[in-house]
Amino acid sequence: MKNKMMKKVSGIVGLGTAFLLISACAAADGSDEPLVVYSAGPGGLAESLAEGFTQETGREVDLFQSTTGSVVGRLEAEMDNPAADVVILASWPSGMDLMERELLHTYADAENADLLNEGWNGDNQLFGYSASALGITYNTELIEQAGEDWADYTDEEFNGLVAMPDPSESGSALDFIAGYLSDQGDSGWALFEELVENDLEVAGANRPALDSVINGANGVVLAGVDYMAYSVMEQGEPIDIHYASSGTVVNPRPAMILDSSERKEAAEQFIDYLLSDGAQEIVADDYLLPGRSDIDAHPDRVPFEDINELDIDWEWMMEEQENINERFQESIR
Amino acid sequence: MSETTAIKKDSRFTKVTQWTAAFTLLIIIVIPLIMVIMRSFSIDGTWQLSAPIELIAQSDLGSVYVNSLYLGLLVVLGSTLLALPLAFLMTKTDFKRHKWLDTILIVPFMTPPYIASMGWMLFMQSRGILESVFPSVNLLQRGFFSVYGIAMIMSFNLFPFLYLILKNALLKINSSLEEAGAVHGGSFQYRLKRIIFPLMISPLAMGALLVFVKTISEFGTPATLGRQIGYYVLTTEIYQYTSSWPIDFGRAAAISSVLLVTSMTIWFVQTWINTRYTWQTLGSKSKQTKEYTLGKWRYLVWLYVGGVLLLAIGVPYFSMIATSLMNTRGAGLAWSNFTFRHFQAVLTPGSQGYRGIVTSIQLALAAATLAAVLGTFYALTVVKSKGKIKGFIDSSSLISNTIPAVVVIVGLIFFWNHPNNPFAVYNTSSMVILAYVVLFLPFTVQYVKSSAQQIDNSLYQAARVGGASRWFIFKKITLPLIWPGIIAGWIMTFIISTRELIASLMIRPPGMVTTATYIFGQFEQGNASQGMAMALITVTLTVVVMVAVQRMQKGARRFE
Repeated sequence: MKNKMMKKVSGIVGLGTAFLLISACAAADGSDEPLVVYSAGPGGLAESLAEGFTQETGREVDLFQSTTGSVVGRLEAEMDNPAADVVILASWPSGMDLMERELLHTYADAENADLLNEGWNGDNQLFGYSASALGITYNTELIEQAGEDWADYTDEEFNGLVAMPDPSESGSALDFIAGYLSDQGDSGWALFEELVENDLEVAGANRPALDSVINGANGVVLAGVDYMAYSVMEQGEPIDIHYASSGTVVNPRPAMILDSSERKEAAEQFIDYLLSDGAQEIVADDYLLPGRSDIDAHPDRVPFEDINELDIDWEWMMEEQENINERFQESIR
Repeated sequence: MSETTAIKKDSRFTKVTQWTAAFTLLIIIVIPLIMVIMRSFSIDGTWQLSAPIELIAQSDLGSVYVNSLYLGLLVVLGSTLLALPLAFLMTKTDFKRHKWLDTILIVPFMTPPYIASMGWMLFMQSRGILESVFPSVNLLQRGFFSVYGIAMIMSFNLFPFLYLILKNALLKINSSLEEAGAVHGGSFQYRLKRIIFPLMISPLAMGALLVFVKTISEFGTPATLGRQIGYYVLTTEIYQYTSSWPIDFGRAAAISSVLLVTSMTIWFVQTWINTRYTWQTLGSKSKQTKEYTLGKWRYLVWLYVGGVLLLAIGVPYFSMIATSLMNTRGAGLAWSNFTFRHFQAVLTPGSQGYRGIVTSIQLALAAATLAAVLGTFYALTVVKSKGKIKGFIDSSSLISNTIPAVVVIVGLIFFWNHPNNPFAVYNTSSMVILAYVVLFLPFTVQYVKSSAQQIDNSLYQAARVGGASRWFIFKKITLPLIWPGIIAGWIMTFIISTRELIASLMIRPPGMVTTATYIFGQFEQGNASQGMAMALITVTLTVVVMVAVQRMQKGARRFE
C-alpha cells in the first residue's frame, strides 16, 4: 500500500518538476489576454503604436519586434502552434505570400481603408498602413559627389565604399533586388554582379548597414529604408539621402490579421487603430510615408508623389523572392 | 521496525529517486537531443541514413564547417600564446607574488563575448574610437575586420580558462625533478625541454581541445563581428536557419548534428589523452617549487602583461564606456559630445531597456533556484547510486556542458514546439527559464557533487544508529555540508542567465525583452550607444551580485 503511494507521490513530484513548475507562469485564458503583435522595425514606431492602441482600447499588447526575416521565420517556426494575432511586415511581397497561403483573415469593414493609397489595400487582408522608399544614403563627409543612379556605384571610384542590407534579413532589401529584376528582367542581375565585383559589403539588416555609413566604414548604402536615414539626419549625423534617377521601390508595409487568431475582434480594432488619424500621424512623425493619401508626410522628407518608382510586378516578386534570395546569397558567399 | 524492512525501505527509496531523476532528465535534455539527430536523418518525412551528408554536400555547408574548424585552430593558437607564458610566470618565477593578476583575469572570462566583440568593433571600425585618437590606422582595420579579428577577440575571452589549467598543471610538477636536473648539470633550457615541456603536453592538449570545443560552440562573436564581415560558422548558420526566413529546420538539425558529433568526438579524444598521458609525477601539488628570479627581464614581462591586460580588458571596456557616453557617434570623442542620455533611456521605468533588466533578473532568479533544486537532486542521486543508472544520470545531467548551447536550444524547440506536445510551455517565459536551467544545470551538479562526495559515510551511519529520520539526516548533515556547492551553483547560474544570448534570442516569447536581446537588438537595429549602456549595467550587476554574496558569506562565517 505504502509502497504504491510512495511511487505515486514521487511520480507526481517528478512530473511536477518537469511540467508543473514550468507551466505555472503560463497565461490564464480570458478575453483580456494581451493582443500578440509581431512587427518588423522600426522598433520605436512599433512600440509607440502598441502604446497608442493600449491607451485607446485598454488592451495590452505583447510585441515581438524584429526584422521581417525573423518575423516571418518565427511565424513559420510556430506554424503548428501559432501565437501571433497581428503581423506587420516591412515587405509587401512577404505579406502577399502569407495571403496566397491562405493564412490571413479578411476584414472588409476596416475603417478608413478606402483612404489608403492606390494599391495599398490587398483584398482587405493586407493593409499598407505605411510605406518606406528605398534610397541611396551616403556619408556627406566621405562622398563628395553621390552617384545619381544605381549603376553609378559599379564605378571604380566607389570601390569598397558601397554597402547594402542583407536581403535574407531585411525584407526591403530583398524587395529592391526583386523589384529591380522585375523592372529590368534577367539582365538586371548584371548590376548586382558588378556591385559584388566592386566589393559590395552585404551587412546585416538595415540598421547595421546604415551604421557602417554613419561611422564611415562604408561611404554609401544602397536600397536602405529612407525613414532611418531621415531620423539619423535629424540627430545631426553627417548623412544625406536621395532617390535613384531610374526609379526605386516604394514598399507599402502590410499589417495583417492571422486567420488562426483567437482574438480577431481585438485584432480588427488594432487595424482600425493603425488606419486612424492618430496612428497615421505617428507614422508620419517617424518619417515613414503614411498609408492614407489624405495624411501629409513629414515636411523634412521627400513626399510620395516626388519619388520615381520602378515598374514592378508584386505578384512576380512574391513568387520569385525565395529564388532571388538564394541566387543573391550564392553570389556573395 | 525491524532492520530488514528498514533496508528494504531504503533501497525502495533509492530506486524511486533514481527513476525520477532519470525520467526528468530524459524529458528535459535527452529526448530533445535525440529529436535533433532524428530530424537530421529525415528528408521530407522519409528516413535516409545519408541525409545529413547529402544536405551538407548540397549546399555550401562544407565551407562553413571549414570556417568553424579554422577559427577553432586560430583561437587555440592565440589563447595558448597568451596563456602559456603567463602560467609559467605565475608559477615558476618571482613574478608570482602578483596574485591580483589571477583575480583580474576573471574579468575577460566573465565578459560575455558578444559584448566584448561589440566593444572591439566600435573601437576598430573606420572613424571609430581608435581612429579618432590615432587617425592613421587603416592597416590595423583591414586586419581586424577578418577572421583574425574574430579569433583575437575569442582568444582574449578564453585564454584565462586555459591559463588556469596550465597554471595548476605547472604547480603540480614536482620540484625535485627539476632539482635533479639542475644537480646533474642541466641548463635552464635543457630542463625546460626535457622535464617541464614533456610533462605539460597532456594538460596543454587537454586545455587546447577544450578551448577548441568552446570556440566552435560559441555564437556571440561570430554573430556580431562574423556576420558583419561575412564569415559564417556552424552556430550562426543554425541560428539563421531556425529564426530567419527562409526557415529550414531540417538543415538546422543536420548542421546541429555535425556540430554535436564534432564536439563529442573532441571530448572523447580529450578524455582519452587524459587517461593515457597523465604521469604519476603530476600527482599532488608540490610544496616548494623552484623559483626563477626575473632580474632585468622583468621590464619585458611587465610590458607583456600590461599589453595583454590592455587588449583583453582595456580596449573593450574603454570602447563600451566611451560609446555609451557619446551623444552622436559621428562627432567622436569630445567633451562637447558627452551625455548621460543613453543611460537615462535604458533606466527609465517602463522603457524597453528597463523592462529588459527586470525581466532578466526575474528569469535568472527563477532559473537559478530551479537549477539549484534539480541540480542538487541529481547530484545527490548520482553520489548515492551505482551502475548503469548512475552513469546515465551523471552524464545526461552534465551533457549540456559538453555540447554547444545552440544545439540544445534547437532540441528544446523541436520538443516543446512539437504539435503533439500537450504542454503549453512553448512561447511562454517558462520556456526561457527551462532553457536556462537545461543549459546551466551542470554548474550546480558539479559543485554539489564534489562537496557531497567528500561527506564521509560514517556520518550517515552514526545518524542512522541514532535513529534519525531520512529528512532529519538530509537537513542536519547533508544540506549544511553541500550548501556552499549549492550557493556557488546558484550564483553561477544567476550571473550567466542574466546575460544569456542565444537561448533568449531563439525562444523568447512575444513581448519579452532581456538584457541580451536588448543589446543585440540595439546593435542590429537601433542605437549602439544604448546597447553599450545596457552592457555596462549588466556587467555592473554581475559584479554587485558577486560582491554581495561574498560579503554575505563572510558575515555568516563571522556569525558562527
